[in-house]
Amino acid sequence: MAGTGPGARFYRQIKRHPALIPMIGFIGLGMGSAALYLLRLALLSPDVWVLASREQPLTVPLPLCSWDRKNNPEPWNRLSPNDQYKFLAVSTDYKKLKKDRPDF
Amino acid sequence: MAYPFQLGLQDATSPIMEELLHFHDHALMIVFLISSLVLYIISLMLTTKLTHTSTMDAQEVETVWTILPAIILILIALPSLRILYMMDEINNPSLTVKTMGHQWYWSYEYTDYEDLNFDSYMIPTQELKPGELRLLEVDNRVVLPMEMTIRMLISSEDVLHSWAVPSLGLKTDAIPGRLNQTTLMAMRPGLYYGQCSEICGSNHSFMPIVLEMVPLSYFETWSALMV
Repeated sequence: MAGTGPGARFYRQIKRHPALIPMIGFIGLGMGSAALYLLRLALLSPDVWVLASREQPLTVPLPLCSWDRKNNPEPWNRLSPNDQYKFLAVSTDYKKLKKDRPDF
Repeated sequence: MAYPFQLGLQDATSPIMEELLHFHDHALMIVFLISSLVLYIISLMLTTKLTHTSTMDAQEVETVWTILPAIILILIALPSLRILYMMDEINNPSLTVKTMGHQWYWSYEYTDYEDLNFDSYMIPTQELKPGELRLLEVDNRVVLPMEMTIRMLISSEDVLHSWAVPSLGLKTDAIPGRLNQTTLMAMRPGLYYGQCSEICGSNHSFMPIVLEMVPLSYFETWSALMV
């Protein structure tokens, strides 16, 4: 029948109980943020080997990680002092940091 | 240090602890408001003669009590995450001090410039001088320069311990085989007390930590004498 698919049933449920809309909204926000942060950790964390040999950094200066142990064996070594490692920088100005370690 | 009948947190000595204090005030205020609201509503429920026994549909109130708590939680989470990230910031320490937890004392190593090591045992209650604090005083205090960022490297020689100084907002576990790092920055001179914060055997309550924050010149004199 026309009105018994999951989408149609969902809309009827929502029309009868509009109070569910904010709840779906906030739960979506929470789960979406969690998923996006996991994605950020997987793709951009220099401790993790994930993406296929990313030789160049992204357009935004973020750290790198790689699936490819052959072509990008130590992604944490490619982190420069100006890359923002953390998600949120409260009072550290990453542009001003200097590299005070010896080069290999 | 803590005082009898203390209700709140100790006065802040480091900037991070100040942030934590204000956050605690913020979160506690929210908790008090919600609890008093709930208590008031319960008292209203219990003292009314009105009844309504048929099934009710309450879309408006449900919308409100979904959105409002979500907003309150966001208002708690955002400052909390901000402070969390602030604690991890890069801050270029000028001095590194290592502390090893033992059963049942702490040992400290200042090895940046000279080879300075010492153990820090609690002063037994029988040997306290008048005015000294029971279970908190130690024979050798950790003397450190104030207003300087200091890196603390914390580990253990035997079992789990935890190096904690509440007034500076510090608590870091001392795990055998692992090196944990925390940064210390005291804004004023003084004596700051803490206690071991991970159960480690019979004398777990009797291995305190005392930081003596002094001006840099005093610290230099002290470390020259101690070597």
